Amino acid sequence: MEPGKNQRLFKDKPIKVLLAKPGIDGHDRGMFVLAKAFRDAGMDVIYAGLLPTPEEVVDTAVNEDVDVIALSLLNGAHLTVFKKVVDLMTKRGIDDIAVVGGGTIPDEDKPKLEKMGISGNYGPGTPLSVIIEHITERAIEARKKKLGIQ
Amino acid sequence: MSDGAAYWSDKIKEIEEHRSVANERYRRWSSTTLARWNKKTNYKEVPRYNSSGIKLKEIYTSEDLMQDHEDKNLGMPGEFPFTRGIYPNMYRGRLWTMRMFSGFGSPEDTNKRLKYLIKHGETGLSIAFDMPTLYGFDCDNPRADGEVGKCGVNVSTLKDMEIMFDGIDLSKISTSMTINAPAIVLTAMYFAIAKKQGVPLDRIAGTVQADILKEYIAQKEWVYPPEAHIRLIRDMMVYCTHNAPKWNYISISGYHIREAGASAVQELAFTLADGFYYVDMGIKAGLSVDDFSPRLSFFFNSSINFFEEIAKLRAARRIWAKVMREKYGARKERSLLLRFHTQTSGYTLTWQQPLNNIIRTTIEAMAAVIGGTQSLHTNSYDEAWALPSEQAVKVALRTQQIIAEESGIPDVIDPLGGSYYIEWLTDEMEKQAYSYFEKIEQMGGILEAVKSGYIQREIANTSYRRQQRLERGEEVMVGVNKYVEEEKEPINILRISKEAENIQRRRLKDIRSKRDPIKVKEALNELKRAMEDENENLMPYYIKAVEQYATLEELTEIGREVYGTWKEPTIV
Amino acid sequence: MKPERRNLEYSEKMNKEELVEGILRGDRRAVSRAISILEASINAELSRFILNSIYPHTGKSQIIGITGPPGVGKSTMIGKLCELLVEQGSNLAVLAVDASSPFTNGSILGNRIRMQSDLTKSGVYMRSLSTHGVSGGLSRAVWEATSVLEAAGHDTILVETVGAGQADLDILELADTIAVVLAPGLGDELQAIKAGIMEIGNIFIVNKKDREGAYLSMKEIEDILSINPGKGWNPPVVGTNSLTGEGFDELIRYISEHNRYEKDNGGKKRRRVYNTILMAVKMRLDSMVAEELEVVRERLSAEEQLHSRNPYEIADEYLKEDVKRLISFAK
Repeated sequence: MEPGKNQRLFKDKPIKVLLAKPGIDGHDRGMFVLAKAFRDAGMDVIYAGLLPTPEEVVDTAVNEDVDVIALSLLNGAHLTVFKKVVDLMTKRGIDDIAVVGGGTIPDEDKPKLEKMGISGNYGPGTPLSVIIEHITERAIEARKKKLGIQ
Repeated sequence: MSDGAAYWSDKIKEIEEHRSVANERYRRWSSTTLARWNKKTNYKEVPRYNSSGIKLKEIYTSEDLMQDHEDKNLGMPGEFPFTRGIYPNMYRGRLWTMRMFSGFGSPEDTNKRLKYLIKHGETGLSIAFDMPTLYGFDCDNPRADGEVGKCGVNVSTLKDMEIMFDGIDLSKISTSMTINAPAIVLTAMYFAIAKKQGVPLDRIAGTVQADILKEYIAQKEWVYPPEAHIRLIRDMMVYCTHNAPKWNYISISGYHIREAGASAVQELAFTLADGFYYVDMGIKAGLSVDDFSPRLSFFFNSSINFFEEIAKLRAARRIWAKVMREKYGARKERSLLLRFHTQTSGYTLTWQQPLNNIIRTTIEAMAAVIGGTQSLHTNSYDEAWALPSEQAVKVALRTQQIIAEESGIPDVIDPLGGSYYIEWLTDEMEKQAYSYFEKIEQMGGILEAVKSGYIQREIANTSYRRQQRLERGEEVMVGVNKYVEEEKEPINILRISKEAENIQRRRLKDIRSKRDPIKVKEALNELKRAMEDENENLMPYYIKAVEQYATLEELTEIGREVYGTWKEPTIV
Repeated sequence: MKPERRNLEYSEKMNKEELVEGILRGDRRAVSRAISILEASINAELSRFILNSIYPHTGKSQIIGITGPPGVGKSTMIGKLCELLVEQGSNLAVLAVDASSPFTNGSILGNRIRMQSDLTKSGVYMRSLSTHGVSGGLSRAVWEATSVLEAAGHDTILVETVGAGQADLDILELADTIAVVLAPGLGDELQAIKAGIMEIGNIFIVNKKDREGAYLSMKEIEDILSINPGKGWNPPVVGTNSLTGEGFDELIRYISEHNRYEKDNGGKKRRRVYNTILMAVKMRLDSMVAEELEVVRERLSAEEQLHSRNPYEIADEYLKEDVKRLISFAK
């Protein structure tokens, strides 16, 4: 996890990540740790703040043109609320922003989230390097899609 | 006795001046016996630190105690400065209350769980509310979609509380409610139920968390700007001092501050700093310190660093007693007692190999008991996955019972008192807390420190540094970064169905159609008018409104209209 | 352009004409993507196309640069200002410029403003830019972003920078109106930031008006400014209180007065053309230099005997060839 090491595709513009808890969940310790860790890994981080609605999350992601939205919830509402975010993106035809999940997510919910297109779904205690690597992978995918312009 | 920041630097000097200068025993031993041994066994010294960053020697001796230690700083249980315990006979006279934090789904679900726990021996109730309730949203608010009943019980009107406490005699058991932003609403509801049960208010025992400062610092469950919530706390304080003398109208909390990433010393310092703020508030409200401070209660974390936690709790009692007497001039002994509830640390629980959590909770519970807690909640082993299942919560309760009945720990008061290590560590944490108080005072007080984001940033930095140490392997979490296994243990976790959300929505609809809309509107308008007058006590208005089945969100909205909302400063 | 696509949100499958069409329509996705493309500037032709296409639609907005030292409550002030501008019907956009870590190149962006207001909820477009990761300089990226936002129909664009360094001054000079936020009791800091900032400020805002010393600070600033009486526009000093909203009506009035002043004097138009040409040349030069450096890098890695000679001589040799190449580019 050397700073800036995974940045070859992003030489001129680092990976941009939006960190958001789209439901009613104020437990932000993890958000602050991730924000600092991503920054130290050379990424540009947007933190969505406390209690953004799914609409605000998607609007911010679009306005800032992030590569990845990293969603996290510790309140058990992930299936409902993560879905709201993904549905909004589908409705707006946004498919060049990746969605990665995390939080208190039981194993049996993970396949459901993956089906929605949300990968990762890391629980507390996951090594930061694992999360950063995964986010980088998905960011590269998203960036490639974005660059497909004539 | 000096004022302001000078008071704190005096207290630091007191400790430093009374510290022993001698260090002969340790020096001789470490340069000879220890050094020889290390050389022989090829051991390279790695310095050890506790969570507060305090460096730990290999061993402590009588030379680490302060001069006149026993008389000056230690005292006896039930005697100033209460380091050894706030009551003379502690657990011999009365065991700590076994109070398991519970709540999920609909009020019916929670009622069932409360009765289950009472049956299995819990001696006090503690209610967990769901996220919509904690933030003042009704269950039918679109934002509550998918959240109803998930983290705790859902309460939108008095009816929900009635169902939750059905068959539970409020005169016979005390209840703690973990609720902050709408604390005054839930308190009003509890008082209304007491009324319905025919229990006079002056016999109602229990606690409402209400500590809004720690919300801005750590738990983030606020709605209005600080001044608004503080006014509501003031109103509860004044009302209860006069009408409900057995009700702890606030539980000044360090638990959440610790969970947010603070070290033990930060938890100690920030919690007590919040406490001092509320004392100032009470005095400003025109109450005498001896009238209201006996009902200030506290809530600490018990984390996995065993000895540090014990020292922290002892230091907390001592600091509170000294400051209340010296700075606030409290005369009555009851005003000097730091009474607290403890919860074992949720952050230390792992989803990997969940049965390991039983051991963690046990160690943490032991620290809380040896540290002299008045009330204890023990976490369940499956809580890194979900809310506690019946089986898991029973084991957590039994943990307390085994400590109480089998281990012999409660038989002797402050059993680690006199341990060179514990006494040194208690002194050291006390000193570091004073340093924080001095700094906070220089910043203009805890409220300013919170509004500027200083406290929150301190915590975020400590938390990040800890995570970095974990990543580097300098700190270990068994099963997470050491002794890692591939397969996951299958456990049956509690699943909250969507049914609870449906039940609650139907019930709310029903209530709205059955209540008297004119009376509700009247009550809400009266509340609003009273709220606009700083000198009015709002408690009776809230009670009146909940009795008319005004909803939680309707009541929360009134505050938003009068006071607005608040966004936190930049922390990262 | 296919008619059935006209009102759909921009997506990356669309071509560059549709991208521009989206910008002019005010489609957030198109605007946002265009800013990213210009920021990264990996496709010089595409960047040129976008800038050429939107240029005719620029020039009508007011670009307000806001700066000031940390700790003056700038973000709360901006939050309140945005709230009021939106209330008054402005189609507002905000660009927040942050410094990235010099060590890791990463940054946490725009938090200050995002945390202080409900911008997204009220429909304000907000975008963060950081000092790194932008090819060819931050001021160019900011300038091009403001052009896109102008073309998209935003009548007011706030550009907020963190401090008072040279990079910030460069950015601020692109603005039509520069507001400097100060707080009472800055004392020595006031002297320190005097250089540069005080000279270019058009409006001075003393925030936290209710704090002790607010009056003194306003007087101090007025004194400093009167030493260098500007020709034409006399920078006013406004006291604001972000909590009560006091002073903001006055501030907004000064902002619109300055806008009128610049328009009437032709200063704005002149500055716009100047900056556009400067940025266009800069962009071209930057990409030429970047390409050239790549060539040099390749040659160096192939070069075997690097240690044996004086590096400055080697550099001179390369430069002679570079200049030849550059001249051929220019033709």
